[in-house]
Parts: sequence; C-alpha cells; structure tokens
Amino acid sequence: MSSSAAENRTPENSVDGGVVTQTPSASHRRTWMGYLTIPVILGLVCLGLFLYVQSRELDSIEQRSLNVGAITAALQEHVVLTAVSTIVTLIIAVPLGILLTRPLTRRIRPFIIGVLTILQAVPTIAILVLLAVAFLFLGFQAAIVGLVLYAIIPVLLNTMVGLEQVDGNVLEAGRGMGLSRMQVLRRLELPLAVPVILAGVRTALVINVGTATLVTYINAGGLGDIIVAGLSTNRVLVQIVGAALTAVLALLIDYIAGIAEDFLRPKGL
Amino acid sequence: MFRKSMWGTVVGTAAAATLLLSACGDGGGESPNAGLLDGAELTAGSKEFTESIVLSQITSKALEDAGASIEDQTGISGSATVREALESDEVDFYWDYTGTGWVNILGHTTKDAPKDLFKAVSEADAKNGISWLDPAPFENTYRIAVKSDFAEKNGLETMSDAAKFIGANEDQGKVCAASEFINRDDGLPGLEQAYGFEFSDVVELDLNLIYPQVGEKCQFGEVFSTDARVKANDMKVLEDDKDFFVQYQGAMTLRQETLDEYPEIAKIMAPISEKLTDEVVMELNGRVDTEGEMPEDVAEEWLEDEGLIAS
Repeated sequence: MSSSAAENRTPENSVDGGVVTQTPSASHRRTWMGYLTIPVILGLVCLGLFLYVQSRELDSIEQRSLNVGAITAALQEHVVLTAVSTIVTLIIAVPLGILLTRPLTRRIRPFIIGVLTILQAVPTIAILVLLAVAFLFLGFQAAIVGLVLYAIIPVLLNTMVGLEQVDGNVLEAGRGMGLSRMQVLRRLELPLAVPVILAGVRTALVINVGTATLVTYINAGGLGDIIVAGLSTNRVLVQIVGAALTAVLALLIDYIAGIAEDFLRPKGL
Repeated sequence: MFRKSMWGTVVGTAAAATLLLSACGDGGGESPNAGLLDGAELTAGSKEFTESIVLSQITSKALEDAGASIEDQTGISGSATVREALESDEVDFYWDYTGTGWVNILGHTTKDAPKDLFKAVSEADAKNGISWLDPAPFENTYRIAVKSDFAEKNGLETMSDAAKFIGANEDQGKVCAASEFINRDDGLPGLEQAYGFEFSDVVELDLNLIYPQVGEKCQFGEVFSTDARVKANDMKVLEDDKDFFVQYQGAMTLRQETLDEYPEIAKIMAPISEKLTDEVVMELNGRVDTEGEMPEDVAEEWLEDEGLIAS
C-alpha cells in the first residue's frame, strides 16, 4: 500500500504498511447536484424502510424496538459515541503522528507503532469484555476506550505518511526563507499532509460507526441495541432496521467527511 | 523358529486377553443399547451457552454408545441460528426449551401461555416437521437474583418483596439484564407489569457479564435458574411468588424424518432425560463453568456413573 498522493516520491524513512488509501474524488469541488446524490439515496432508503415497517403488523416485541422513541434514542447514542470516539482519536493520534515524524523520536518510532498495531489486532469486543470483567468498567466511557484503541492506528499512520510525503525541497525552501521549524510544520507540512490525514480520519469514522454496534453488550447503547434485540428474539425485521440504519449512518458520515475534505484541502492541490 | 515363537506369543496373548475381557464383561457393562443405531451418522448441534452444550454432549455420548457416529457441531451462536441449522439439515438434533419454542420459534407472545406448554409447543411444532422428545424434569427459567447479603439486609425473599423495596428505595433499584430478557414479553416488561413496579434503571449487558456485576453496577440481575454461577457468586434467587415466568422445560428436538428413520433414539434418550433434574443439570453446568472441565468429559463421566452407557 502507498499513500494516496501516490505521485509524490516517498522519502526513504517513510512508514510502510497499514496506510489507508482512498480513491481521490474526480474533482475537488463538486456541482451542487453532485452533493445531493448521496443524501437523496440515503433518504430514499430510510423512507422505504419507514414505509415497510409501517405496512407491517408489528407484534409486541417488534414494537418495543421499532418505535420513534427507541430508534431516535439509539441513533442519538450512536452518533455521540462515534463523534466522541473520533474526536478523542484525533486528539491522540494527530499530535502523536507529528511527534513520531520528528527526527528526535526516530529511535522509539518502531516500538510505538508496534505496540499500537498489536493493540489494534485485539478485537474490540475482547477489549470491551476485558474492561468489563477485569476492571468492572462499563458504559459510555469504557466504550470510548475500546473504540479509540481501535481507530488510532489508521489516523496515526496516515498522519505520519502524510507528513513524510511532503517534498523535502519545499521544507528546505521554507527554512531558507527564515521560517522556524514550528512555522514550517504549521504553514507547509500540515496543510500539504491534510488530504492523507483526512483519508485516515474518514476511515476511523466509518470503522467507529460499525464497531460502535458492539457496545450494546456493556450498557453503552447505540444502534447495537436494536440489532441485538432483533437477533436475540429472532425478529428479522428488527435486525434489518438496526443494520440498515447503521449502514445509512456510516455512509452519511463518510459523505459529510468527504465534503469536509473538499473544503479543508489547500487550494491548488 | 523365531517366527513360530512370535506367532505363538501373539495368539497366546490374544487368547488371554479375550478370556480376561469376557470374565469382566458382566462387571464393566455391555451397553444395553449396543448396536441399536449401527450405521447411523448424525450431527450434534447446540446453542452457545454451557448448559445447551452439555445436554448435546450427553446426547452424543449416549447415541455413540448405541453405535451411531456423531459429528460435533455444538456451540452455535443464538437460538434462531441453531434452529435454522436443524431445519436445513445442517445439524440433526439439539436441546431447546418450551418457553423459547413458544416465543421465539412459534412467534407467540406469552401474555397467555397455555398451562401445558410442552403439549402446545410440541403439537404446534410438529407442523414444522420438528419433533420434541419427552421433556426432562429440569426447568431453566428466568429468575431475578440479588447478592445474598443484600437480600438478608433488606429482607428480600420474593419478587413481591423486591417490588416493595424498589418502590421505597429508588436509588437501589437497578437491574442488570441481557437484550433478550429486556425485549421479551415473558421477560422484563411483563415482569414489571405483573408485580406492578419498575426497576429504576436497566443496565443492558452480555449475559455472561451479569453475574460479576450484580452488587456492583446494579443490585438486581437476570439469571437462569440452573446456572451454577448463582451459587458461585453468592447470590440469592428471588422467588417468583406470582408465578409470572413461563416454563422453560428442556427437551431434545430433532426432525421428524430423523426420528422416523431411527425410532430407537427416543427409547435411548427417555431414561437419560428422566434423570436430568434441576440439581443434576446445575451440578453439570457448574463443573464446566466454575471448575473448568470440558463439557464432553462431564457428559461422559455422568452417563457412566449413572450406568446409562457402557464404561
């Protein structure tokens, strides 16, 4: 795998493996019609789902999961879980990525990445259960710990690759113009690394939407409540609604992140 | 010369062994069912929790003892999945519960479960081509449990006591429960209705996380009546004084066509089912859950000790 800015030559000390790439969108600024396509499709899916559920005779078990109150609560919990875990991931992973690309930390770099990769290899559900059993740690905070541990790696690696694929000549030119190291980082490196970093963030977001369905097992709610309720009572309709809403939410969040990418990308890249 | 002597030794040893074996034949047990199922090839299924696995292992060992060869597919996740596997010939038998049959398989809700649940379920399920063998006496029903010292301190014996207590102590009325119990009419919603109270908060957890959490995150917990971890974790099961919970008697289920082909299965299993009382099942569960033995070993040992299979 290579960074999504594949055209750029990567310096020798680049991180390899585990980098998230995305197909770059054709144009940076889409037409407004282009912006509308995905929300319209997702809206239609939700509408179809709603009408289908409306048309069915629901028994008492289905009614318990498929009512406006329950679905709204689950959606809200899920969005909060995803948002908070992604923000915490960013707060940890981006500065760590910057630190690990500085010459000072060259020695400990492989060690840190190794540890995080091992942590990511542990399934989230195992981390959640471990927290619950070993530390009797449950609920929202435990869920965030589990989600963050899982999402750190893609954001961290993309941050490092994004910074490292910046052309060394540009940085040198910056230093030559009298900018300090900090200024070079802020004005040149980070803006140029944004597209690759954001690809990692998008991935983290989508991973978190999916993984957050598991936290129902530790009293942290979310759309997993609906899916698991359907599974445990053998009600297919409930399972479908929970799974479809999760998919819609993942696509919607990815779409919003895509728009953010369009606007955050430095002009001329 | 050498050859001859070697053959002599072999023949001699064999003869001696045969004599020895036939001498202890009466003591160590020819199986009463030997040969009943010669040539039968069956696949064992079960749900993912200990009790279901142990019951299927007991069945497997008993059928093997009668000459069947059994493929082990136990430990399938979810009641619905294993039932699906039975209907589509993936597995040939597993143990289910009358209450689960009524609610999950037949799609009823249990506002008014019939008195004779086994009869109702087995008759209705016959239309789906599934046969329920005569049930065992044990019942693995839902119960609410609390820590023993908590029960003592607050004088909790029955669910009615708990309802009164929670009414007076809002801050100590949390219940830990798993998704299925929370969503089934024969679970939490119906229970609260029957006793006219509400838990102050529901903590939704994976089934196995409930036991360590009672007395921590919540005062009350959903448990299974035959789960050995109730005793191991020093819990008291509250009596269902209004008889709200439906029956969950265990019975072996298999496709009618399998039973038609091997009617001996029912005959072999009847004396075994009879011996599976609440105490026995709880003890077998405990040997796996708290003492860490393997389900197949526990099953085999119990059958041998009871003289149900040849040792």
